[in-house]
Amino acid sequence: MFLKFLSRIKYLILAFLCFGFLTNAKALVKPTTEFYVNDYANILSSETEEHIIEKSKLLYQADGTQIVVVTVKNLEGMSLEDYATKLFREFGIGDKEKNNGLLLLLALEERQFRVEVGYGLEGILPDGKTGRFQDEYIIPYLRENKWDEGIVNGYDAFFSEIVIQNNLDLEYNSPENINEKYQTTMWAAVIIGFIAGIIIQALEDHLGILTGGYSLIWFLGLCYVFNFASLYVYHFIVNMFVFIFTRASHSHGSYYGGSSFGSFSGSSGSFGGGGSSGGGGSSRGF
Amino acid sequence: MKKGTIILIGVVAVIAVIAMMLGGTYNGLVSKSEEVDSKYSDISVQLERRADLIPNLVNTVKGYMAHEEKIINSITEARTKLVNASTVEEKATANEELTSALNNLFVVVENYPDLKSSANFINLQDELAGTENRIATARKDYNDAVKSYNQSVKRFPKNILAAMFGFKEKAYFEAKESSKDVPEVSF
Repeated sequence: MFLKFLSRIKYLILAFLCFGFLTNAKALVKPTTEFYVNDYANILSSETEEHIIEKSKLLYQADGTQIVVVTVKNLEGMSLEDYATKLFREFGIGDKEKNNGLLLLLALEERQFRVEVGYGLEGILPDGKTGRFQDEYIIPYLRENKWDEGIVNGYDAFFSEIVIQNNLDLEYNSPENINEKYQTTMWAAVIIGFIAGIIIQALEDHLGILTGGYSLIWFLGLCYVFNFASLYVYHFIVNMFVFIFTRASHSHGSYYGGSSFGSFSGSSGSFGGGGSSGGGGSSRGF
Repeated sequence: MKKGTIILIGVVAVIAVIAMMLGGTYNGLVSKSEEVDSKYSDISVQLERRADLIPNLVNTVKGYMAHEEKIINSITEARTKLVNASTVEEKATANEELTSALNNLFVVVENYPDLKSSANFINLQDELAGTENRIATARKDYNDAVKSYNQSVKRFPKNILAAMFGFKEKAYFEAKESSKDVPEVSF
């Protein structure tokens, strides 16, 4: 009887399910209780999250500027720009009067990144600069799926820029320009390879150590090896720095954690100051 | 109290209530109209910004691509149209023309790796993309404001008051249909 009833209304249930699916389809993510970090794609470590939360709280206390990081699994079929502007306004990032909010948005499936700037920050962060910051500090990491490194480094880049430009009395970590470093190590690798090639050539010519005819292969092979080796060394150094740096900022954070008055966690759950964005910023794929 | 006085008070009260309602409606229409104007100025600011970026872009690009005069000229022309446009529709149409002219340029840029990777060009491209996105956002905000205003002007009973005080429907920021199929530039 009951089953018959169920089978009779199954289309209705299906319709309801579809409806629920459809209405869900364009829903934006909601701010989490941390507000400053909303890791919906689940790719950030807790150290990264703590780092951002600590820093963002200090920045907010200093002059009301809010930097928010959001990662999402996908954009629900919206364009990156639309999604970012809607999210920015829904969250109300930044002060309502000053509109000094900044949104760093990562869309995992689309492999896209956007920096969205509130009206009030457009003066110190013009679109061109946000694009350059992405190229130099964020995108090279994201290409290698190094989410934590990319987000932390990018966050520090924007954080320090705001602190410097607005003359705030806050400590900041200088970000690494990874793009430039990559290029210098690549050049160094090529030069080392080249010198190695010359040495081998000289050895062969004057001492007859290596059999003739293979010198070019040796040369290329060594270039290749040195290229790889130098990249590994480079990564090792970078990772070591990141490790030390996250450790340092972690201990740093707990120090500040004791002195933050909980003014934030105490408020009613809506952290956004009602700031708005007019769609300024820049987008990148990675 | 006399009967006449009571009736008088009643009439005055009714008139006062009606006047207040009319006043409220009038003020509502005024503030909606002002909202539309303010959103319109937001668009205008961004359109101006876009127009200001073009000469810089043209100068940067010219050095790299001397043979693409056709495309560069089409951009300059579209910019002139945008600067001289006065009505909402003209501005929207000119803006769309400029967008397609720029898109043609960005396609061709793929053939000039030096230009594509130059810091100056990347910077300009970001600025232009940001401005374009701002225009899209401002346009949406403007159209929302116009929609809300137009609904007030057209609906009963506000439409009576709107007609009395000369509130007219406002135009959406939309390009003319004909401009949407801009002829492709042949290479």
